[in-house]
Amino acid sequence: MITPEWAAAAPTLVLGVTALVLFAFDSIDPESSNNPVLAGIAVVGSLAAMGVSVAYLVAGVGDPAVELYGGQLVVDGMALFFQVIFTSVTALVALASYDYLEDMRHQAEYYILLLLAATGMSLMAAAGSLAVGFVALELASLPSYGLVAFLKQNRGSAEAGLKYFLIGALSSAVFAYGISLVYAVSGSLLIDAVAGSVRNAGQPGVLGVGVLMVLGGFAFKTASVPFHFWAPEAYEGAPAPISAFLSSASKAAGFALAFRVMTVAFPIEGVVGAVDWVLAVQVLAVVTMTLGNFAAATQENVKRMLAYSSVGHAGYVLIGLAALTGTGDGGLVLGAGMIHLLVYGFMNTGAFLFIALAEYWGVGRTFADYNGLARRAPLACVAMTVFMFSLAGLPVGGGFVSKYYLFAGAVNAGVWWLALVGAVNSALSLFYYSRVVKAMWIEEPAEGVDVSSYPSTLYAAVITAAVVTVVLLPALGLFSGFAFDAAAAVLF
Amino acid sequence: MAEITAFAPAIAVLPFVSFLVALFAGKYLPKKGALAGILAMGGSLVLSLLMLYTVATGHAHQSTLYTWVGGEAVPYELTFGILLDQLSTLMLVIVSLISFLVHVFSLGYMNDEDEGGLPRYYAELGLFSASMLGFVFADNLLMAFMFFELVGLCSYLLIGFWFREAGPPSAAKKAFLVTRFGDYFFLVGVVAVFATFGTAAFGGPGVEESFPHLAELALDGEASVNTFGFAPRTWFTIVGLLVLGGVMGKSAQFPFHTWLPDAMEGPTPVSALIHAATMVAAGVYLVARMYGFYALSPTALAVIAFVGGFTALFAATMGVVKREIKQVLAYSTISQYGYIMLALGGGGYVAGVFHLTTHAVFKALLFLGAGSVIIAMHHNENMWDMGGLKEEMPVTYYAFLSGSLALAGIVPFSGFWSKDEVLFETLIHGLGDSPLLLGAYAMGLLAVFFTGFYTFRMVLLTFHGEPRSDTARDPHGVRWKVKGPLAVLGALAAVAGVINLAPVAELTGAHIDFLHSWLFHGPEGLNGEHYEELLEGVAGYHAAYPLGETLTMLASAAVSLGLALAGAGLAVALYRGPEPVEHTDKLGALKTVLFNNYYQDEYQVWLAEGLTARVARAADTVDVSIVDGVVNFVSSLSLFTGDRLRRVQTGIVSNYAALLTLGLTLLLVAFGVMQGWFL
Repeated sequence: MITPEWAAAAPTLVLGVTALVLFAFDSIDPESSNNPVLAGIAVVGSLAAMGVSVAYLVAGVGDPAVELYGGQLVVDGMALFFQVIFTSVTALVALASYDYLEDMRHQAEYYILLLLAATGMSLMAAAGSLAVGFVALELASLPSYGLVAFLKQNRGSAEAGLKYFLIGALSSAVFAYGISLVYAVSGSLLIDAVAGSVRNAGQPGVLGVGVLMVLGGFAFKTASVPFHFWAPEAYEGAPAPISAFLSSASKAAGFALAFRVMTVAFPIEGVVGAVDWVLAVQVLAVVTMTLGNFAAATQENVKRMLAYSSVGHAGYVLIGLAALTGTGDGGLVLGAGMIHLLVYGFMNTGAFLFIALAEYWGVGRTFADYNGLARRAPLACVAMTVFMFSLAGLPVGGGFVSKYYLFAGAVNAGVWWLALVGAVNSALSLFYYSRVVKAMWIEEPAEGVDVSSYPSTLYAAVITAAVVTVVLLPALGLFSGFAFDAAAAVLF
Repeated sequence: MAEITAFAPAIAVLPFVSFLVALFAGKYLPKKGALAGILAMGGSLVLSLLMLYTVATGHAHQSTLYTWVGGEAVPYELTFGILLDQLSTLMLVIVSLISFLVHVFSLGYMNDEDEGGLPRYYAELGLFSASMLGFVFADNLLMAFMFFELVGLCSYLLIGFWFREAGPPSAAKKAFLVTRFGDYFFLVGVVAVFATFGTAAFGGPGVEESFPHLAELALDGEASVNTFGFAPRTWFTIVGLLVLGGVMGKSAQFPFHTWLPDAMEGPTPVSALIHAATMVAAGVYLVARMYGFYALSPTALAVIAFVGGFTALFAATMGVVKREIKQVLAYSTISQYGYIMLALGGGGYVAGVFHLTTHAVFKALLFLGAGSVIIAMHHNENMWDMGGLKEEMPVTYYAFLSGSLALAGIVPFSGFWSKDEVLFETLIHGLGDSPLLLGAYAMGLLAVFFTGFYTFRMVLLTFHGEPRSDTARDPHGVRWKVKGPLAVLGALAAVAGVINLAPVAELTGAHIDFLHSWLFHGPEGLNGEHYEELLEGVAGYHAAYPLGETLTMLASAAVSLGLALAGAGLAVALYRGPEPVEHTDKLGALKTVLFNNYYQDEYQVWLAEGLTARVARAADTVDVSIVDGVVNFVSSLSLFTGDRLRRVQTGIVSNYAALLTLGLTLLLVAFGVMQGWFL
């Protein structure tokens, strides 16, 4: 417990206040090019939020869960765990953006949007009702559209932003409609209350359509098939740090809301007669994993490859929901999903930030353009190698452990075939991840690329992400208890 | 006094330490590790003698040192343990003695000849001795198997010691592969023993459940074991024959004998060790070790006897035409181990162990003698280049002669007594109710003639007559390190027979058949007396004396001595004189067959190249075309599908919206139908 109770929402509040501080700074000094101050405020704000959420998590503030505003907000272990993910990714991205945005205009707006999106994500993780969830999702999404289109003069960026917005609008409509149908059946928007009234509810068809549409909303946010179409284009067109932000934090936010709503509002044993959403998620997981990895395997553009691999990873995390069959330890597999998102938050962010580094240098976008990069920037290439192998699930980083937990949880829940599909996809993913490594370390360097400067904060962000990825391999043994406990607390 | 057995593991640990010392510090030591090895083997010898004494005072001993698999949940225990009884302590003494002498001899053969790689040599020699000693005192079949394999590994390393030359690596590989082939059967046999009895213990004082004992009870119907649907006797025969596969590989019995002559590529002291006390002896020792098990199966015994008798004759005929001194010795080894197998199969447990003992002494002597000759001849091994060495190297000559007389079986040298007992035991059991044994006996008897012939041909060509080459006229001198071991072994080869002068005991009534009494007073279930009861009661072996006991024995001794003398005499007649000539041409077509060793290598090479390689190639084809084909197909399918998927991403946002809606609709309709929303 914590007094005053509203202090439990501190991570979200800190993020929001940081955004407002940036806003105030921008009002006083519009068109400021004082980059260090802007980036500094953003980094400090997100680090502060991260510190608060880590402290809460360790101090056990979320246990038992703190309910605010009549249950509209719920601060529990899972919310705090996800807030750690969002804030750390935000901090890394803000740090890396300092160099990336060098000499660009509208920098204050960039950081404000970043912090506002992070605030929305933080709220999504703590949403206690479907209405709050929807508003928070929009709060996270709308700044994201703007961020993707941030490079206004760049056609790709603008186009991607528009596409993202259009698909986002469509998905939000589906999501809102789904909520309304659920409300029609249950008569409540509070997640706990919904859970009480959907058990053996009267109109299974209405409930079923509603649940699947809500699931569709989550699929959009997590970039899962068939709501993934925006992802490759948005990730490719957006500034690379924003790609990192969207593919790591935004995806995790979608899962945060999905985990809470699906497990608490629609407990499977209560709604299985109306809609077997676990089966639906299993289908989505398999299709998402397979499609993401197969499409990634044929890309020539590294950033686009990472975009598709991000879709594939959404499929892995979906196992966390898909394995809630009622047999086996649900907390184990749900916690495994959370852990994978945590690790993914570092390794994927790091990979995209490496792309940002490459863009900063003016290195091309294809695999071939990365040839021999290791001779010019060995340290960054070591970091990238760590990201790639950890993403593939090799035991050089935490990605190995989290994938292992996921697959073990799936086997434990009796859906071994899901683990098998995951393992086959992981094997395939090794193919395209190692292409990057091969290009960097083995191929002969191309002529004409000049790596003359070493942007310090971008470098720092990449190296930090790499170190954390590696450290998580042994440290997960200590850390994973938080995730499993939090997941178990949500489930029961 | 019983506490002294606590030091028994040191018998194998000491040489192992010398292995480590020679391996890691050998190049800094004055004799490159030789002294460490000699010290270790000396220690082992002293300890072995102490153990022998302990056992002689009635303290046979068994103890489990380490259980590496065991506990409540597993049906068997896998352990390392030590069994010290009459048989194993005797063998420990033999092995450590021979190994000690070989180490000393190596000072002269390797160090004085300035060979390279000495630390490696002494390290391998130490490991070899340690493995063999561990094998000898093993108290269960699995531990025995492990050390058996280590022995095989070390012999591979030592045979291939000069690995930069062409021959040794090839010979080492051959030895390894051929013995490995037999060991496959042994391994299956070990598993079968575990599956059948749940224990692989040999027995010994204080051991309640040993597999020979359980097998015996099972035959009497007093214990039930898992025989996999076979009648117990049939199944025990099968298991026994499986283990025998390993025995035949190691002891170079037909048809696994082909590796042994090639193994002469190793340094000569190693050959002495391999032939006399370690590698080859391991096989027959294993039969003696689990004799209580083999004695239950007359079929297995008959197979052992026949393989032994046939090998004895077969190898002896090949030894007749060889030109290299070590080749003759190699075939004689195969032949002599055939005798030991013949004895064990023919119901002569004591005779087999006796011949194992005497053979260890005189064969080590002959090899070291040959080594001495080879030093003198500047590493030329062809006997046709020798001659007349008698005057130049008298110590070697007389020692070698003593060994040769023993090998040929001339009274009163040690070989006579043991070989005579082997043949006698087989004969009387054959004359009993086991006429099959008479066939094996006949082959063994005939081999005596050939043994006498090739032995004396070798002696005459090497030492007598006029020197036939310049090196033979002016041989390289040898020093005490070579002469010392030769003298010790020469004396032993002459007199070692006294440990079991059975015929003399029979004639005089004096109890001087010491080995017989020694082996008959082992721990319960592990002694000759028990084995004899089993042979009589279970295997149906009976002794018969058509001429009365004494007369039969004398007749048998007279026949084998006569044949040995005849063989020796023929050799003397043919190769006497200052300028002996080759007589092999008189053999006609047979000569070619003998020089080619009955084409045994050829068919085994065909087995390896013609058959195995072809099967492997066929498997490779399957792998490349089908397995790889499937894999390649999958990967190209993945890339193709990936390419299609990429095209779905058209870049037109209205297409995305349509596909998204379509996907959602599909999902809704599918679940609607499945869950019956529309009903």
